[in-house]
Amino acid sequence: MRLISLASPCLLLAAAAAQSPAALSEDRLQSLEERLTKLEGAPAKTSLSAFNPALGLALDFVLRDRDGKANFLFRSAEVNLEAPVDPFLKGWAIVNGSADGVEVEEAALETTALPGNLTVTGGRLFADFGRFPHFHDHELPVIDRPRSIDSFVGGESRADGVELSYLFPTEAYLRAVLGAYDKLGSENDRVDIAEGRPFDEFTYLGRLSAYQDIGADHSVELGASCAWTPKRGVVEDAAVTGNAFAESTRKNTWRTLGGLDLTYRYQPAAGGLYRGAVWGTEVLANNERRFGPTTRLPTDRVRAFSGYSYLWLKLGRRWRPGALADLAEDLDAARAITRTYTAFLTCDVTEFQRLRLAYSRETGNAGRPEADIVGLQWTGILGHHVHGFRDR
Amino acid sequence: MNKSRLALAALLLALAARPAAAKLRVVATIPDLADVSRRVGGGLVSVDCLARGPEDIHQVVMRPSFVSKLNRADAVVYLGLSVEHSFLPGLLDAAANPRMREDPAVLGCAGPGCIDCSAGVRVLQKPDSLSRAEGELHPQGNPHYNLDPEDGLLIARNIAAGFSRLDPAHAADYERNLAAFLDELKTRIAEWKKAVAPLQGLKAVSYHKDVAYLGRFTGLDFIDTIELKPGVAPTPTHLARLVREMQDQGVKLIVREQQYESRTTAWLAGRTGAKVAVIGTMADALPGTETYVKFCARNIQALLDAAR
Repeated sequence: MRLISLASPCLLLAAAAAQSPAALSEDRLQSLEERLTKLEGAPAKTSLSAFNPALGLALDFVLRDRDGKANFLFRSAEVNLEAPVDPFLKGWAIVNGSADGVEVEEAALETTALPGNLTVTGGRLFADFGRFPHFHDHELPVIDRPRSIDSFVGGESRADGVELSYLFPTEAYLRAVLGAYDKLGSENDRVDIAEGRPFDEFTYLGRLSAYQDIGADHSVELGASCAWTPKRGVVEDAAVTGNAFAESTRKNTWRTLGGLDLTYRYQPAAGGLYRGAVWGTEVLANNERRFGPTTRLPTDRVRAFSGYSYLWLKLGRRWRPGALADLAEDLDAARAITRTYTAFLTCDVTEFQRLRLAYSRETGNAGRPEADIVGLQWTGILGHHVHGFRDR
Repeated sequence: MNKSRLALAALLLALAARPAAAKLRVVATIPDLADVSRRVGGGLVSVDCLARGPEDIHQVVMRPSFVSKLNRADAVVYLGLSVEHSFLPGLLDAAANPRMREDPAVLGCAGPGCIDCSAGVRVLQKPDSLSRAEGELHPQGNPHYNLDPEDGLLIARNIAAGFSRLDPAHAADYERNLAAFLDELKTRIAEWKKAVAPLQGLKAVSYHKDVAYLGRFTGLDFIDTIELKPGVAPTPTHLARLVREMQDQGVKLIVREQQYESRTTAWLAGRTGAKVAVIGTMADALPGTETYVKFCARNIQALLDAAR
């Protein structure tokens, strides 16, 4: 047995020696081709972490001066993770650290293989209400979220819930979204989502958006959204009012928050790196029964309006100046208006680093003092950080 | 009753006949691929294109109308090597078309409808390491292989293979159209190879680092770029160094891709005495280049004119 095993390599060598040079060359060539094929076909990265999610980080710092009082503001360190879960689902999470602490901004799952042009998204997400409401702060064209959005939506349109979207199979772009959430707005303090409550105290959303190219260089996008909360249960603060029994109010507490958004874009093919313009406008209407901030007793039903309009020009590879006008009525007193006028200049140092200088003048009759605000924003993107088609 | 049955039978026949008559709905990311798809697909395909020729492929804006096109498409033809990273993954994600899904692993496409034209391309300038400190790198290597006419042959073969896979009933038609296109392109390549002989070894700089394949075909030696790094606009220090480098090495040709601004290039030409050739990086970028063959011919002629 041992003799046979020793003899085998010798036999192979003898057989190889007996082959013609041409056959040897052919064998070597074939062997090389096989090795090359394996190398070319090999994945770029093979390790235990190969299936880990794509990771990115957006850093956002602001130096702000408001009427002579300035501060350096660590606005956000926004970490995002994203990967397919399986052939039918993808998931992502966005965790934001700021001077106020760390919080999960988004943690959602989304179907990727539903038939009939349907997509279901669930978890903590930025609800598809309006346009700016679902932009993360560092993605906005201005440093500070417009007051009209901030006060009416309650910050970003963050919501815990589920959304169903449908893309109409038509030549023109038309998309509908239905949603159900605990509440809408990251800073919306109308309800405490930690406590369970009837479904009629949830918020339900409907949105329809359409798009039209106007020639090769111009386009218009229109959207209409409505968030409806059928009921709200509010209990009087008896400690403040001094009443013996706390009164609970649920009657006539429905709330609607409606919005219309219009975006016009000029995107010339020639010089697209250096030229372009965006004009965006959004109008919101809030209709709800209000409650005393301390007593929590019902006051009047108030219908209030707000909105902004901005123009953003691209004048070169780096420079993008713009202006924004914002009007926001007080949710408790519709005729009390705060007006904010902002001029801003953005410098795209590279695709991943941005500087922005903004000046805002805040006026109005809502009881706020007039203010001049100057801000300098510095934003950097590390790794894979993309907010996708919706937030373009 | 008989009339109703006849009408029903006619309707069923019409419905049965429809799939055979239906064209393959193709979306191409850039005009080059749209043109070659039309040549290979002939009357059997309808082709829509996403990017416009004069645009920068790295900066194509995602329009919702693209989503509708991709939603109803049978195939998407793309250059690959992550060059369409700024628009294709996001559009595929929004399009919800099970035949073509966003593939986050390669910033591309996954599914039976995906036709990746980079399959088999001998990729140049694969980065040794990946860091944004080196600019906007393409992890899989330089993706601008469409600038080499010889890779146009590969593009056409990949498209024909994709069409045949999706529509095997017409595979013979696609092969026939492919052969005709390859014959034409090969003839032109032979002419261009002779024409570019004077460019062999000539030193040049380009605005962006996208001309490696053009250099391979023409023999031009691209020594540097006007951009500081890929995707990073030039700085005064870099330009001053570039002037010295061009003077030291006797560079007499500057290649400006048409989507980049002309002022810096003109300034550099004035300082170094080099001539400027304006080229397109996609078909239809410049007037009269609406087909892939015309696009290649125009680029080569621009280089020859400037180098004369």
